[in-house]
Amino acid sequence: MEAIIKIKVEYSTLSLQKRLLSFILIVAFIFFILFARLFYLQISSSTPLQIKAVEQWVRTLPLSAKRGQILDANGNILSISYTTYDVYIRSREVKDAVKVSTYLSTVLNMNFEDVYKRAMNTAVSENLVKLQVSENTAQLIVEKNFDGVYVAENIARFYPYENSLSQVIGYLTSDSEGQTGIESYYNDILKGKDGKYLTQSDVRGLTLNPSLNYYVEAVDGLNIKLNVDINIQTILENTLTQVMQDHNPKSASAIILDPSTSEILGLAITPSFDLNNVPRDDVETLMNLSKNITITDVYEPGSTFKIFTLACALSLGLTNENEHFYCPGYRIVDGERIKCWKTTGHGDQTLVEAIQNSCNCCFMDLGLRIGKEKMYDYLNSFGIGCKTGVDMDGESSGLMLDESIVKNVDLARIAFGQTVAVTELQLLNSFCSIINGGTLNTPSLLNSYVDNDTTVYENHILKKRETVSAEVSEQVRYLLEEALSKTGEMSFIEGYRIAGKTGTAQKYGENGAISQGKYVSSFFGFINQNGAEYALLLCVDEPSSGAYYGSVVAKPYAKTIFGQIIKYKNIEKADESIVVDRVVVQDFIGMSVEKASRILDELNLYYEVDGEGERVVNQFPQAETEIEKSTTILLTT
Amino acid sequence: MKRKNKFSFKTSNSRSGVIILCINIFLVLFGILMVYSASYYYCERTYNNKFFYLIKQAIGFVIGLFFMLFLRHFDYNKLRKFGLISMLVSVILLLLVFIPGIGVENYGARRWINLPGFTLQPSEIAKFSFVLFASIYLSNNYKEVKSFKKLLPVLFGGGLLCLLIILEPNMSITMCVGLVLLFMLFIGGASFKHFLVLAVPLLILVPVLIIIEPYRLDRLLAFINPWASPQGEGYQLIQSFFSISNGGLFGVGLFNSRQKYLFLPFAESDFIFAVIAEEFGLIGAIFILLLYFILIVCGIKIALRAKNRLGCYLASGIVGIICVQTVINVAVVTGLIPPTGLPLPFISMGSTSIVVFMSGIGVLLNIDRQNCSREVVQTGDIKLFNFKKRSEKKI
Repeated sequence: MEAIIKIKVEYSTLSLQKRLLSFILIVAFIFFILFARLFYLQISSSTPLQIKAVEQWVRTLPLSAKRGQILDANGNILSISYTTYDVYIRSREVKDAVKVSTYLSTVLNMNFEDVYKRAMNTAVSENLVKLQVSENTAQLIVEKNFDGVYVAENIARFYPYENSLSQVIGYLTSDSEGQTGIESYYNDILKGKDGKYLTQSDVRGLTLNPSLNYYVEAVDGLNIKLNVDINIQTILENTLTQVMQDHNPKSASAIILDPSTSEILGLAITPSFDLNNVPRDDVETLMNLSKNITITDVYEPGSTFKIFTLACALSLGLTNENEHFYCPGYRIVDGERIKCWKTTGHGDQTLVEAIQNSCNCCFMDLGLRIGKEKMYDYLNSFGIGCKTGVDMDGESSGLMLDESIVKNVDLARIAFGQTVAVTELQLLNSFCSIINGGTLNTPSLLNSYVDNDTTVYENHILKKRETVSAEVSEQVRYLLEEALSKTGEMSFIEGYRIAGKTGTAQKYGENGAISQGKYVSSFFGFINQNGAEYALLLCVDEPSSGAYYGSVVAKPYAKTIFGQIIKYKNIEKADESIVVDRVVVQDFIGMSVEKASRILDELNLYYEVDGEGERVVNQFPQAETEIEKSTTILLTT
Repeated sequence: MKRKNKFSFKTSNSRSGVIILCINIFLVLFGILMVYSASYYYCERTYNNKFFYLIKQAIGFVIGLFFMLFLRHFDYNKLRKFGLISMLVSVILLLLVFIPGIGVENYGARRWINLPGFTLQPSEIAKFSFVLFASIYLSNNYKEVKSFKKLLPVLFGGGLLCLLIILEPNMSITMCVGLVLLFMLFIGGASFKHFLVLAVPLLILVPVLIIIEPYRLDRLLAFINPWASPQGEGYQLIQSFFSISNGGLFGVGLFNSRQKYLFLPFAESDFIFAVIAEEFGLIGAIFILLLYFILIVCGIKIALRAKNRLGCYLASGIVGIICVQTVINVAVVTGLIPPTGLPLPFISMGSTSIVVFMSGIGVLLNIDRQNCSREVVQTGDIKLFNFKKRSEKKI
């Protein structure tokens, strides 16, 4: 207490002089704080503040780089950007609104009142007058050089082939960034580098000193040249359209690869959509339509997969073309009865015949002989269950049972293409490694980057590994060719060596159970001639016309495709002796299925029976039609 | 003693007086230049005449110079008669602000009186009226200041002015008058106990003021974190930061401020110090502040040598106003205290401000002159300081 009182006394008796001097000391202290604060603002923390300040002083006008084109293998333009011109008014800079509005309304064919309203609207700094005016009109407006009138260049994208190759080419977002397909995968190459135009301005956006303006020039994007040949693509698409009409499937897809390089020459998916008119309102539909199902979706391949089992068995020397197999219509593996697709059995058959018949029993035998370790080694080496590494986003790797849990029953099923799921491109690419002499490549869409007309980067073939020997490759090609033409004299297409294999697989529902009546019908084939190599995989997902066998739903269309490619590429006949035998179909309607089968077997004709009835109620082709002997006759009960 | 003789003829000032005069003239001329630099872009676009504010400010300077020279020769002891009158005039002027037609409303506050040709800001005059009133009263009653009762007239006069000014509303000048009031009580000899008694109602007043005008709370929050509302309440402070930081050590050079292109609001008035800091950098800003500090020190010296208590209180009060206003202004501009609109003495745009401050300097110079005068005018005051000789020697 004493101390406090003492202090109080001292304060109250402070002389005026002491009070004034202490005032000066306090002021000096406060000034010192002010200096420190200034030092902090101007020296210590000035940089981040200055950066923010510059941001508000400088107006940045982007100068868009021209987006590169997408070209097909022959240089046809698949996707191209063009400039549009948008007219703006900065009303604060307008000196004579009436004059400006009069001129603009005349040139742009607009209502004077509308333009005048925009010229006077100072609420926003930029008023849009009209979007996408023609280049000539834009030129006229620019030449007039009115204060406050600006013409902004904008880039729009145009796809001359509309709904062709849509899933591969892809489309752009509203900000001109690639959203899907090649446009997205090669976006950085295509889009180039935007430039800018910086102007110093006051708070309202008025340019201050034109000499301080600063340009950063835009670097245009490169053109992307694809391996796809738009002519082959068109052939595929026209054929798929026909498939859609005839069999009304959920979707149909076809891929053509060059087997020796795995270059993608064509990749068609129907249904498709017009890239110039992307249905952005319906996101779900758009997602489904724009998805490249040949790489994103997996399916159980069925019989086409037998080619792997064959190649594997041949490599290991476990079979030869003269070996005989007996098919009673089923095999019992580990006590489980696995049916052949023909429940009555194929009887005794050579390997070639077993391939022709696509006999499951034969391939179960081969699969069990190979054993699961070797089988998995080979399948892995073929790239089954692995992403191919194609230059597109969204690729799936496929599904395989883990080797450790595979039992003999599973192995037997894998051998004929069940309990395994692949993408279409993966399957085709793996086939190519078997038929091209044994090299697995990475499939590629990109051919090269092109700057104007100069190629600046060429995509090289990415070889992955050797899969089978050249001899085995040769053998498989021969066997598949034999199987397709059934006998030496009969061919798929007259004069051409074409080999192939059909496949029909049942689809599984989401619960893992087989979906009744839902199939994927497919055909794998290739032109087996030097210098003209085309490998095709055609898949028809859920045909709903009644027929579902690959031989009916896929094979005839594959023939159309090969026929047109031969015509387009002027491929010479390999062997004049390869002729197509023709027969006239007789009338089977009303006949018992058993009798009809016997007649057809005797005539050595392909046929499929649809339905479980005993009598034929319909047939295709109709009676009295002349057909090639390779054509499959469909009998409906 | 020698030096003192040099300056000690009747019409001249001491060295401190000369320094004050020089600094005053320099700051006002520099102010005119800075007002021009900060406003020419705005004036050109708004009035189509980039010298618009420069001319206004120059007129203020001429009038101010006239007042200063007049008051320099006008015996401050004669001002005793005007103590109550000047308070009365101030109160009337402050009331006139509220009469529509006479008072001008701007930015939501009634602070100006419209006169032909220019506008008058009564609160600027009120500050000095109060200092005059308080000096006269305290010098007359210095023996009794130990009793709180005797301090009441000063408190009442200052409080009335504060009340009227805060009703305009003008928080910043209220604060300024309030601080000058405390300062006058301090030098007048009020005891520590009295300040404690005063502190309690003042602390209660703060939340009350915020409740009356909620925008003050927004300003307070904006001051704590201006980046939360860079386009709203925080805008002004952020723009001030941009200006100051852009200056760096040496500044961007005269006329080269980038922030004056309408980014910084009130660049020519309340925030002119930011433009100075931008154009002349840390070095320029500190130089200007040092000038103010020297002016304050010299002013206090004059007060210390005053012949009588009135001169001492009056000189201190004038210096006090200059000091309080400079510190508050710079603290606001640099973001040390919440934003309020208070002009920087001598420099900020505003003719009333320039005239009253120059008048204040005029009075200060008169006090100084009389200190130096050989004639000792005895006015009945007792000798102020028993150590006068010692301090003279030092000077």
